[in-house]
Amino acid sequence: MTKLQKIVEPCKRVDGNGNIKILLKGEEINHVEFEIPEVRGFENILNNKKVYDIPRIVSRICGLCHASQTIVSNKAIEDIYGINPPSQSIILRRILLIGELIKSHIMHYFFQSFPDLLKIIKFQEISNPYELMQFDPQLTSNVFDLIKLGSEIDRVFGGRYVHLINCISGGVIYTPSQININLIRKLLQKGSNHAKYLIENFIKLFSNKNPPSSFDLPKINYLGLSNKGSYDRYKGNVIIKNNENQFNFSEKDYQKYFNKDIGVFGISFHQNNNIELITGPIAREKINGISASEKFANYFNKINENWKESILYQNFLELIEINDEIHQCLKLLDENSLNERFELPNLGEIQKLEGIGILEAPRGLLMHHYKIDHNESVIQAKLFIATEINIPLINFMTLKYARDLHKNEAIDKVKKKIMQMIRAFDPCISCASH
Amino acid sequence: MNYYQWRLKIIKLKILIISITSCSGCISTLFSLDIFPQFLEKTEISYFPFITDEGKLGSYDIALIEGCITQDFQIQLIQEIRRAARKVYSLGSCAALGGIINLSKKKKGDPLSNYIEVDGIIPGCPPPSNLFGNCLMNLLENKMIKLSNKNQCYSCPLREGLDYEFKSNITKLIPNNREINSAQNLKCFLSQGVLCLGPVTREGCDNKCINRGIPCDGCLGSPTKSLFSNICNFLSLLNLSDEVKTYDGIFYRYSKPSIKR
Repeated sequence: MTKLQKIVEPCKRVDGNGNIKILLKGEEINHVEFEIPEVRGFENILNNKKVYDIPRIVSRICGLCHASQTIVSNKAIEDIYGINPPSQSIILRRILLIGELIKSHIMHYFFQSFPDLLKIIKFQEISNPYELMQFDPQLTSNVFDLIKLGSEIDRVFGGRYVHLINCISGGVIYTPSQININLIRKLLQKGSNHAKYLIENFIKLFSNKNPPSSFDLPKINYLGLSNKGSYDRYKGNVIIKNNENQFNFSEKDYQKYFNKDIGVFGISFHQNNNIELITGPIAREKINGISASEKFANYFNKINENWKESILYQNFLELIEINDEIHQCLKLLDENSLNERFELPNLGEIQKLEGIGILEAPRGLLMHHYKIDHNESVIQAKLFIATEINIPLINFMTLKYARDLHKNEAIDKVKKKIMQMIRAFDPCISCASH
Repeated sequence: MNYYQWRLKIIKLKILIISITSCSGCISTLFSLDIFPQFLEKTEISYFPFITDEGKLGSYDIALIEGCITQDFQIQLIQEIRRAARKVYSLGSCAALGGIINLSKKKKGDPLSNYIEVDGIIPGCPPPSNLFGNCLMNLLENKMIKLSNKNQCYSCPLREGLDYEFKSNITKLIPNNREINSAQNLKCFLSQGVLCLGPVTREGCDNKCINRGIPCDGCLGSPTKSLFSNICNFLSLLNLSDEVKTYDGIFYRYSKPSIKR
């Protein structure tokens, strides 16, 4: 019998520490896995903690999706106490989520994915961040401005760049001054031009080439939120959709469709049709059809159709989302209620012993489900994280890709190339190792 | 001009930035800093798995390590980094104190200093932007990192009402939402019966949480000795309600008592 040989290599240019694990049986690739080497155990940490203490703890799950983690937790807690945050707080939360998305997407696109796109599509090798920054100084300067834009939104409205202070259960403790609103508005207007430059740059560089077919997505289910058919990351119904069927349900009924074991990695979907799921920008686009909107039709028409089947398309959608959300944020800043002073509701009495919060983080669907006792202590916490949902698909696609590559190429090259595929998914390992 | 200063003039500093068990929040903060583009320009980032492909360790002038130690292989890794780098700094509360993972009953996160000698810490969860920026500037100029040895109360906007004898009964971990939101709330948290760890926490964050009506939870660590022992001593001075006394989210929030392996 041939012995299995195990190869483990840390994946580079991703958020956090993840490994590629390859099992070789003789010369054949038996198994490929994107492995999260350590689970920190936040679901255990939350046990016995007071409900109102939870948002501050879960923010520390991820330094990139911190606003999503805090806000989703606030939503779950508000569900427990049966309170509604004032309209101004909801606007502020949406703005904070936008700041986080801009920063997260642009960092992934430029530092992690852009060198891969150049390599895969243009056969241009970029070996370090300095070469990358010199590739197009205008692009680099725009990228730094957009990182700054996302960061400043979170600092001004949330209190600091990461692990926001202002987000509490019941609302957001902040009433923005007109000066701050104007400051962010100016940055957003500048950012909108930068985002356009990036999209046009993408079209110029890549749109007339075909992405390699090995990056094409198989038949999959798309998972995401939809607010009556339109793109909304703060609230909506859960949609699971493929070419034939569509399920549309409230997050309260999630257990009919999927569930997870506490402290164990992975989410199990009951609708077992052997089709993997994807969540994130691609699913959001498929579910809510951003491409159909007039605003972006011009950009989408310029992209070669073959791109739309590829996982590399996610990079383009990230740029589109940045542009779209900048415009949404400008609209939110014009809301009259934004600089009015509202009293936040007290948490008051517990209305029910469990609560569920849901939203779309930059990388896809994020859900928290807490069960508590009468002393306001958590007795069970389930955290559903986007990257956990995407990992089975990552493994499925990388295995196929690795086998194809290994017919002609040595295992070292195979490792490097499957890392490119993993990076295209924008996995958030900090979140996944919760 | 010594060798180091001479080297600074002609060669860019070689930097290693790495995260071990952490949330990547410190690195995320680093990208947000005003001086980050200049920092990239003035240095040579040679090992930074977040944005570089470099596989093997080389030699470095400065290493910034984010995250705490939870597994044995990480000890070996940071020891290798210690050998490869002239100076090693703990970045963030996880690396400096142990971090949030210590709230877990099943896991323990050790600060780097339990296993290697560190040349300094940049504390905070995440490190406050001003402090972080100043620390980076100091590192680039080959100066030591300077941290305040005063506590939060020293610069606290609510210090007027501080009850030095800590007579009030502490019954809450966080004020009610109505109290947070009220503009008249200008009394020290401790005199309002809300637990604030400001007296045992280092200043340096411009009292960001306190300014917004949220009591300090100690993320910057203590100005002297270990945060854990300081919290224990401090809590023994207070009249705590049973609920606060038995709550296991206070002591280990950013550190556990250190036992050197």
